[in-house]
Amino acid sequence: MMTATKLPQWGLLKSDRWLLSSLTWIPILLALSIWWVFSQGIAKDLPVGVVDLQQSALSRQLVREFDATSTLKVDHTFNDVGAAKSAFISNEIYAYIVIPKNFDRDIKISNAPQVTVFYNSQYILVGKLINSAALQAHGTFNAQIATLKQMAKGNSNQLAAISKAVRIRTQITPLFNKNSNYAQFLVSAIVPALWQISIVVSTILFLTANYRRYGLKKMVGKNPLSQLISISSFYLPFFIMQGASFLIWFYYILNWPMEGSLLPLFFAQLVTVIACMVMGALFFFYALDPAKAMSFAGAFSAPSFAFMGVTFPVTDMNMVAQVWRSLLPISHYIEAQISQVSYGASAWQTVSDFMPSMLGYLLPLLLTLLLIKKQLRKLENNNGSI
Amino acid sequence: MGLFKLIKAELKAIFSNSDILLTVFGGVIFYSFLYPLPYTQQTPQEQQITVINLDSSQLSRQLERMVDATAQVKIVKRAHSIEEAKAQFLKGDVRGILLIPKHFNRDLLLGKSPVLSYSGDASYFLVYGTIVEGLAKAGGTLAAQATVSRLVIDGVPLELATQQYAQVKLNMKPTFNPTIGYLNYVVPAVFVLILQQTLIMGVGLLGGSEKMNEGYWHQYSPFLILAARSFIFVGIYYLLALYYFGFSFEFYGVNKLASHTVILALLAPFLLTSTFIGILLGAILPRRELVTFIVLISSMPLIFSTGFIWPLESVPLPMIWLSNLFPSTPAIQSFLMVNQMGAEFSQVMAQWKLLWMQVVVWGVLAYFSYQRVQRRRIKAK
Repeated sequence: MMTATKLPQWGLLKSDRWLLSSLTWIPILLALSIWWVFSQGIAKDLPVGVVDLQQSALSRQLVREFDATSTLKVDHTFNDVGAAKSAFISNEIYAYIVIPKNFDRDIKISNAPQVTVFYNSQYILVGKLINSAALQAHGTFNAQIATLKQMAKGNSNQLAAISKAVRIRTQITPLFNKNSNYAQFLVSAIVPALWQISIVVSTILFLTANYRRYGLKKMVGKNPLSQLISISSFYLPFFIMQGASFLIWFYYILNWPMEGSLLPLFFAQLVTVIACMVMGALFFFYALDPAKAMSFAGAFSAPSFAFMGVTFPVTDMNMVAQVWRSLLPISHYIEAQISQVSYGASAWQTVSDFMPSMLGYLLPLLLTLLLIKKQLRKLENNNGSI
Repeated sequence: MGLFKLIKAELKAIFSNSDILLTVFGGVIFYSFLYPLPYTQQTPQEQQITVINLDSSQLSRQLERMVDATAQVKIVKRAHSIEEAKAQFLKGDVRGILLIPKHFNRDLLLGKSPVLSYSGDASYFLVYGTIVEGLAKAGGTLAAQATVSRLVIDGVPLELATQQYAQVKLNMKPTFNPTIGYLNYVVPAVFVLILQQTLIMGVGLLGGSEKMNEGYWHQYSPFLILAARSFIFVGIYYLLALYYFGFSFEFYGVNKLASHTVILALLAPFLLTSTFIGILLGAILPRRELVTFIVLISSMPLIFSTGFIWPLESVPLPMIWLSNLFPSTPAIQSFLMVNQMGAEFSQVMAQWKLLWMQVVVWGVLAYFSYQRVQRRRIKAK
């Protein structure tokens, strides 16, 4: 390294309670709180109501089919649609089923009665779960009725009776994320997004602490790049540890399915940490004011989960959104993570897909160095004028 | 003296502080365009899939055309084996696979119920859902057609046959967000959180800034300061909220079912509590930037525990209690109910009461924390 005097960091860290917290227990607490929210893993027994205008054995059988799905719990009965709607709007139930009058008669004369399910699609995730549970319940019920009818007609062989009724069977296999566990799906993306925020803001905090104690000149006055590297390298291990711990926690302790290997991910995390620190430094040296830098960091990193493309696919985002997304280090990282965790891609494939976009962060690094020069010049001019 | 003079001084302090202006006005307007950006297309469509057609009969090609015709999926590749399809998938060319088995046509004619297999990338929840929905739709339509033609062969008149093909019809009615648009899902909730967070930051920055300096804020009682400050910030945020609930919602085509009075009534305790939290944070945190820090890192846990993403029935109870300490939770719940679902004001009473309880608790905390800052200042002199 250069001869630039190494600025002691331990003392700084010990005297700054908030900096220490932001590097240690705060990110852990945040990650745990997110995991805790989703800890049940799958949503089950969502409250659903029923308006049964038929009140027969057959209609009750249909209701039982709904209730038998793990997602739904038919625990509200209403005498009329108005009462159901009111409970629906006030969030007591997520959906209600309306079974029409003459339900039995219509089935018997093959006049296909229509059962309506109103479900809350404002909450999209819940709505999708209800939708597929209802389709499943409906399918089972229809198959039962059809089989009964065919057998009544004399098709005594049950399998032939079933096949006559349900003509094309389907087999749906989720590729990857096999159990469709939403906790894993969401938590394994939210936690990296939080991690990114934590790195960017902590970078601003430690640069601020250095700036306050040593001043700009002593901090980066001699050789900005090597001095910046020397300061940052002290904090780098904290962020690396955070990243490594969530990976180990997910895929070793919680034992979530993992197709690939963690090694390329540790490497991707190292690069991601550096990219995030570059962005934090960029904001800091642009503003040279911690509060302002923090505001920029917020504007930049806070909405990153929305842009990661894990919930809403990237291919359906417009150009501007894709450009903004490509600026966020974590959206590149998450692709690497998914390629290992879900697809079990080769280490080389993951790294070679990941690295080219990450080289782009040399540009903000260059900008940061220019900004440091500019701020130093400004400082000297100010000193000169005094 | 006078409250009027105090309000004037506060206004001057706010509008001459570029950090506050940047956070409050800059933040609210910037986010109003940035946040909805990924979702402007509302629903994922035309997910690219590959098809392995082992049957290559006329019927199987008809199925392919029906699949391609759905809004959800688009066939962009073909494969001759599952291995080839998987390779296309890993290369990122496609997000899903449809397998039409050998003898699909023959089995169907024989009434042997062929099995159609399809799969989608479940690591991306919406991609998977969309592909499955599209393929299920096409498969279902073909199945229905096949059933009808079979019934016709059996001698049932066509009109009757189309009615008969399903024993019970299921009519799934998505309600409140009938197009299942993602923008309609995210924007109404997240915008409420943005209002809260920028408000807390703005107020906190003001408190943090004045702690370092001498000024009018030491000459008034904490009660007066709290009153003047919340009066001004709540006023400013009423305007910004109108921009969100009025202009932005209109711009993005989001439901606006609630009456103005209901919105205004809900905003009052929500904005007051947020102001008090800002005053508290500004008073207890040693440095200004820490207010922004706290607000930033708390956003994700707050939004995910309000129940609009993950059902509250599945959230651990202590977590719900914890999230009910903050105004965003009841505010998001009640705004969604009145504005998106058309609930009456009486149906959000529980949330409204909770918000007013928060006003009292956070107000008391803000009062004492501010008083402490003032006292310490006097002692330091």
